[in-house]
Amino acid sequence: MLELKNVSKTFNPGTINAKTALKGLNLCLNDGDFVTVIGGNGAGKSTMLNAIAGVFDIDGGSISIDGNEISRKSEHKRASMIGRVFQDPMMGTAPTMTIEENLALAARRGRRRTLAWGIKKSEREHYRDQLSRLGLGLENRLTTRAGLLSGGQRQALTLLMASLVRPKLLLLDEHTAALDPATAERVLELSDQIVEEGRLTTLMVTHNMRDAIEHGNRLIMMSEGRIVLDISGEEKRRLTVDSLLAKFSRAAGEDLLTDRVLIGA
Amino acid sequence: MEFLQSLVNSLPGVLGQGLIWGLMAMGVYITYRVLDIADLTVDGTLGFGGAVCVLLTVNGVNVWLATLIAMLAGMLAGLVTGLFHTKCGIPAILAGILTQLALYSVNLRVMGWGTSAGTQATLAVSVDKYDLILSSRYVRDWSENLINNPIVVMIPVTAVVVAILWWYFKTESGSALRATGANRQMARAQGINTSTATVIGLMISNGLVGLAGGLLAQYQGSSSVDMGRGAIVIGLAAVIIGEVLLRGHGKVLVGLLGCTLGSIVYYFVIQIVLRLGLGTNDLKLFTALIVALFLAVPYWKGKAATARKRSVNSKEEKNNARA
Amino acid sequence: MMKMKKLLCIALAAIMVLALAACGSTTQPSENGDPSSAPASDPAASAEPSENAEVEAQYVVGICQQMTHDALDQATQGFKDALNEILGEGVVKFEEGNAGGEQNNCTTIIDGFVSEGVDLILANATWPLQAAASATADIPILGTSVTDYATALNIDNWTGTVGGNISGTSDLAPLDQQAAMIQELFPDATNVGLLYCSGEPNSVYQIETITGYLEEMGYTCTPYAFTDVNDLSSVTQMACDNSDVIYIPTDNTAAGNTETIANIVLAAGVPVVAGESGICSGCGVATLSISYYDIGYTTGEMAAQILQGEADISTMPIQSAPNVTKMYNATNCETLGITIPEGYEAIA
Repeated sequence: MLELKNVSKTFNPGTINAKTALKGLNLCLNDGDFVTVIGGNGAGKSTMLNAIAGVFDIDGGSISIDGNEISRKSEHKRASMIGRVFQDPMMGTAPTMTIEENLALAARRGRRRTLAWGIKKSEREHYRDQLSRLGLGLENRLTTRAGLLSGGQRQALTLLMASLVRPKLLLLDEHTAALDPATAERVLELSDQIVEEGRLTTLMVTHNMRDAIEHGNRLIMMSEGRIVLDISGEEKRRLTVDSLLAKFSRAAGEDLLTDRVLIGA
Repeated sequence: MEFLQSLVNSLPGVLGQGLIWGLMAMGVYITYRVLDIADLTVDGTLGFGGAVCVLLTVNGVNVWLATLIAMLAGMLAGLVTGLFHTKCGIPAILAGILTQLALYSVNLRVMGWGTSAGTQATLAVSVDKYDLILSSRYVRDWSENLINNPIVVMIPVTAVVVAILWWYFKTESGSALRATGANRQMARAQGINTSTATVIGLMISNGLVGLAGGLLAQYQGSSSVDMGRGAIVIGLAAVIIGEVLLRGHGKVLVGLLGCTLGSIVYYFVIQIVLRLGLGTNDLKLFTALIVALFLAVPYWKGKAATARKRSVNSKEEKNNARA
Repeated sequence: MMKMKKLLCIALAAIMVLALAACGSTTQPSENGDPSSAPASDPAASAEPSENAEVEAQYVVGICQQMTHDALDQATQGFKDALNEILGEGVVKFEEGNAGGEQNNCTTIIDGFVSEGVDLILANATWPLQAAASATADIPILGTSVTDYATALNIDNWTGTVGGNISGTSDLAPLDQQAAMIQELFPDATNVGLLYCSGEPNSVYQIETITGYLEEMGYTCTPYAFTDVNDLSSVTQMACDNSDVIYIPTDNTAAGNTETIANIVLAAGVPVVAGESGICSGCGVATLSISYYDIGYTTGEMAAQILQGEADISTMPIQSAPNVTKMYNATNCETLGITIPEGYEAIA
């Protein structure tokens, strides 16, 4: 489904600030895979997601979805296949626009924006239904500006927007990191629900090992711009934090001590 | 009393100028507020619209058509800035400055069309010789030339422009433009081509400014190469005054109407200042202070609100501690 | 509560307006002319009915000046002095507005005059003239410091009279006499470079006109137009490289940057003949000069006739400066080794 081959990316090449973020990264996702991604700071988790989404051009390698090479396509073109939720709750919605306007924008992902009315009456009912599934009472606040919502509400809305038009790939980039624990829990539940219902192929970056173990059918761990662990199936189901750390120390060796702290185990 | 009377007498002129500059301010509003870009093209575009409109009128083109073409000329200027910005990777503010600079030469050439020198810095268009849409001549004429009274002309023109813009910003394309201004990252993630949206926004904005330039040239009876000098400041002042007075909370319709209101208030204030005989150098200082004041008021109010909240909170804490 | 705050904002703005305006009006004597000239006219005015200090103003004249500039200030002063001398001190009330170099402000100021129904408008420079011509067809408008009325008002077959409610004075020193001066001083030169700002309509007009005269005399003329201060030096350098003599018209941009021009032309050894004394004293060798005070005064005389009903403005031709003076810049002439014939005054 999604295939990354030998992807590399260096930021600020040729300067004192040069940083190699992805080093010959290879990854292959099957249809319906829900993959959690962990790794220390600077391991390249977010960079990988941004490379797939097209935030920047990669230096080498290839990225393809369903066999179609996308690494030269612009970000907004790839958006027709990819739904995204960001770490910063501010980033996923247009704060000056209403909830229904935000949803209407998302409902037209991958389509030409014409001079037709931005929201049709018939759409509103659909949005109301979808919002009520979030269980946050947003279905009665269709004309509230997104900027007035709390961080959790915005992430839930963004999640809905990312899946309103069924994406081939859903990218969740530490989307609960900025939320308080209870809200984070709720948003994760919603993510599970939406992924399951839509059978969405998903990449979820998280900083929390327990979340990475409890969610999804496959787990990958990154270090220094490469995948160092890839666990799926029965092995994934039996994982514990301790066994994961043990595997990681075998795979990454000396990095363990620092990364263990950073991962927050 | 006499001063007040004379102020009242000057209201028609204030309305006439204010309504025309209101269109210009809407252009600034679209880039500065909706698209979140500081576009300095407008200083050149205003003169460009004026030059094109007057040149065509003087050469026998129907004045309504000439005004419409002035608007298209403005859109062309916006397109150039947009392409500088999105296709050449030039920062928006610099792209606007470059186009503005280029338009200075272009305006000289436009007004000098057909003259032996090939350039000309001012081109007059007399209401006595041409059937202009409006003229400052008729700003107090409520009978004979009612149809050319700037106030009578500009109110429906403003209404139509606001209606079209309001409609546009409700369409899919217009929503995409607003999303681009509100959050570019999100817009791209939702499949919006933010470059295209930016170019469209710049074109609409400069189209309005070109239209205002064409109308303004007819109003004052001439276009000149320096016509747009400082226009951005007047436009910004109008936008901000309108926002403080109407407080639309980002609603586009309120924002657009605020531009017209703000522009009228601005000219009213300028009229008072000029009446009181304020000198040249002080006038610019004064304009800057007005804009700064209207920019500062919302900020101060925000601070005051936070302070109030804080004091309420600390009181509650004290009460809790006592309990 | 919200409404209150809104009102507060407006009130705050208004207070600032008034406060600023108040300091403005005290520092600028805007009514009844220059106070320094008042005592001087006392003996002459005693015969007039103005025995008591308070004179009831009979006429209101609106003066719109394009910007603060020595020449324009002098023209305004000459205008007021003429009216005060002819009609008597205090008979005319002057309402003055200075547009600060913005075309837009001219429209606002002129509109103020029209709304008050002033008896006559003095439009000091091109933009006020255009704004006034657009704003009223009834109130008499006199222009001054305008070089070319045909261009400013888009008049096709120029006869020397504007007609309607407009007349005035031109600040142009007769261009044929200026061409004659170039011939008198530099009979052996062949190439004359014409240096001017393409953004100034008055300059363009003068260049076109004098080219005709100079070519008749057998000179080869080349225009060197700069667009603003930034390309002034390179254009000037180019003019120096290709010219025996340079002519600069009454160009505001050139007038503001004579040092820049002087540094280039003096180094290149090319003499400059200028259209006005300001430019000549900065970077020129000779000029034919008019006095802006004089044309302002002439305009004032025209105004007095119109106000008293002695003349019909629609038939009054545009007048030029009554006197021209041949002047030279002694320092620059010495530097360039130019001998000035009789009949020239040195610029002080």
